[in-house]
Amino acid sequence: MKRYVARRLLLLVPVLAGVSIVVFMVLHLSPGDPAEIMLGSQATQADLARLRAELGLTEPLPVQYVRWLAHVVRGDLGRSLWTKRPVLAEVLDRFKATLVLTTCGLVLSSVIGIGLGVASAMRPHSLLDRGSAVASLFGASMPVFWLGIVLMVLFSLWLGWLPASGMFAPYGGGDLRDLISHLVLPAVTLAAASITIVARLTRSTMLEVLGQDYIRTARAKGLIERAVVLRHGLKNALVPIVTVIGVQAGYLLGGAVLTETVFAWPGVGTLMVQGILARDFPLVQGAVLVVALTFVLVNLAVDLLYVWLDPRIRYE
Amino acid sequence: MIAMLMFAALIVGVVPGVAGAQPAGTLVVGLVAEPVNLDPPQVTDLNSNRVSRRIAETLVAFAEDSTKIVPGLAESWTISNDGLQYTFKLRKGIAFHDGTPLDAAAVKFSIERQFNPDHPANKLGKYPFANYFFGNVKAVEVLSPERVAFLLKEPRASFLAVLAAGAASIVSPTAVMKWGNDYALHPVGTGPFKFASWDRGQRVILEKNPSYWKHPVKVDRVIYRPIVEDQARLTEFLTGTLDVIVGVPPDFVGQLESNPKIQLLKQVGAHVWYLGINNQKKPFDDKRVRQALNYAVNKDAIVRDVLKGTGAPSKGPVLPGTWGADAALKAYPYDPARAKKLLAEAGYPNGFSTTLWVPESGSGMQSPVAMSTVMQSNLKAVGVTVTLQTMEWGAYLAKLRSKEQDLFALSWMAGSEDPDMVLYPLLHSSQWTPNGPNRALYKNPRFDELLTQARQVTDQAKRAELYREAQRLLVEDAPWVFVDHEVQIAALSKRVTGFKLHPSFDLRVETISLK
Repeated sequence: MKRYVARRLLLLVPVLAGVSIVVFMVLHLSPGDPAEIMLGSQATQADLARLRAELGLTEPLPVQYVRWLAHVVRGDLGRSLWTKRPVLAEVLDRFKATLVLTTCGLVLSSVIGIGLGVASAMRPHSLLDRGSAVASLFGASMPVFWLGIVLMVLFSLWLGWLPASGMFAPYGGGDLRDLISHLVLPAVTLAAASITIVARLTRSTMLEVLGQDYIRTARAKGLIERAVVLRHGLKNALVPIVTVIGVQAGYLLGGAVLTETVFAWPGVGTLMVQGILARDFPLVQGAVLVVALTFVLVNLAVDLLYVWLDPRIRYE
Repeated sequence: MIAMLMFAALIVGVVPGVAGAQPAGTLVVGLVAEPVNLDPPQVTDLNSNRVSRRIAETLVAFAEDSTKIVPGLAESWTISNDGLQYTFKLRKGIAFHDGTPLDAAAVKFSIERQFNPDHPANKLGKYPFANYFFGNVKAVEVLSPERVAFLLKEPRASFLAVLAAGAASIVSPTAVMKWGNDYALHPVGTGPFKFASWDRGQRVILEKNPSYWKHPVKVDRVIYRPIVEDQARLTEFLTGTLDVIVGVPPDFVGQLESNPKIQLLKQVGAHVWYLGINNQKKPFDDKRVRQALNYAVNKDAIVRDVLKGTGAPSKGPVLPGTWGADAALKAYPYDPARAKKLLAEAGYPNGFSTTLWVPESGSGMQSPVAMSTVMQSNLKAVGVTVTLQTMEWGAYLAKLRSKEQDLFALSWMAGSEDPDMVLYPLLHSSQWTPNGPNRALYKNPRFDELLTQARQVTDQAKRAELYREAQRLLVEDAPWVFVDHEVQIAALSKRVTGFKLHPSFDLRVETISLK
């Protein structure tokens, strides 16, 4: 087990190196350079040339990449081209907000998704099951930004129950209650699609498991229905569900980019959007590295969870 | 899901009414994006400019409701007869927010750091417009603690307008040297507000400067919140958590106009949006073709239906109503029949095909794609088949340097009403791309001569005369299709009084008092 974890952690190196090369290339090869965007339509050729040289953009791409990598290896992600702030501090600062949002989204999608799925599986073709199927179709087909705006108009503008944007009230506030009230809309928006995916998968896996012989045995020995469904049914259905939830974690990290933009959530997603629009190369590269690292670690955690869920699984 | 949300709202205990009123004395402003950098000469975007101009000030300033030059940190100035030396007398007794006195050395420091490679602060920042603004400055000389002189390489009558630009702000040399690379995050000036804090992605907070030299500041604190999504910004405003929003999207204007609980302000800005034409390329090298395009485009319809009143139709690049504008200038009316006739005379009775490059968005670009689509159909009606090519802003600007453009959509924020700040860079032949921003590759020797002359004489009446002639030439030559000047829109809550929009697109919240 220890050797397995060590090997997986070691594998991080080539994965992150690959991610960094792809991001670097995509950023640098897509049209438009930071100097051009920074100076806008008033740029003179002389100002552009000077700025490009100052930003270190005149060297060949491989040289720029190697130079960047040499710093990264020493734990220095460089400074943002625009704000001049150190990238690592900036990204970590903003990543906390993203972590709060995605964790909350993940909890919502797991709890509600599994709950709905189990309930539907217990009474297939009931009103609840059909309702949840319709809601799933709805949830899975709505774009995040549209759903976000609809919820915002409904709950902030019309009903006035929840704040429309941001993470804390601009003055006062700052406590947990303030945070939660700002978190509700973006977290629900972010989780909507995942909830439906988890719910549909839970339903089908549960239906399969509930048809197994050992469930009939459990019922025959007189266990109460709840114990049958939860302890014998759900636990055995969890392996595929946990896999999907692990994948959803990555999806939520990606979806956070849109959700954060809609709700002015001060996370790494809004930071990346700013960075991409401004071609702030070091900033985007740093942010992607941190997000990629998180995604890989979440997947490792999911793989380790299998051992707990199904003792037959062994890692050598 | 709705049940879930109601449940969540109940848990939070926020039913009903989340939005509490702002504390007395605190003004909350919604920005369309987060400021990027608060060191004035490193500022390249409107949001940073709107914040940093509260903190640092310039030697000369713009008047309250126009971009006429009035005294700022300098109480008076003289210009030498040859126009090569500008000498300023500084106000006495002004100090920066950190206590450093404002003196001639601070002026020299603030300006020379941008273009002098040997200056101790030159490497501490990237000064993108050093050449554009100060390429003409030979040196800044300290004559005494209160007197400072700018020596120019050649005369430029609009130099005072340059010194009123944000990039010419005077900052505390002590603070620049103390914070080094991080100065942009700890700006110190003489302005009505002091920088207090910046929570990245959330807010920038400024506190009032109690010893502001110009007038007492009535607001204790300004909080700037970046909210990129239009609907979110509007919702925050309508629920009362924002006091001021600017950059209201055209589609929301009608809704706000009919809302009795708010105030809506409009002000045309020193901006011009134009359809550039490559004057050197066939068939556009024929003046009649360019005039035909001007007759063919229905700018009134664009302003009314696309911009919904957030633009004013333009007759030329110079802002109407300012000293350099020609009130008698004739505009091109919407006249498709005349356009067809001109095209036939130029040898294109059946029209021709061409391409129009459009950025998806960009600073000052309003609604580029929708506006261009209307122009496309206008031109189709006179036989000119236009293919739209949309591009990302940065890629678009780079591509315009190729000189391969036929038609292109672009705008310009001069920041000042001085005609030199718009005519010279955009239309003087010395400014042809890639060296300057004349991307229409327009050249008319008489026009060039008029502009050069108007830079050399300092008498404003004489300059105005020269510019009037230049504008008449311009309308006749039609190097662009003149489209509109942006009308800025701000929405204010009822508690805000004393605020005015400014044609320079600045957001002068220091004049506000709160009820």
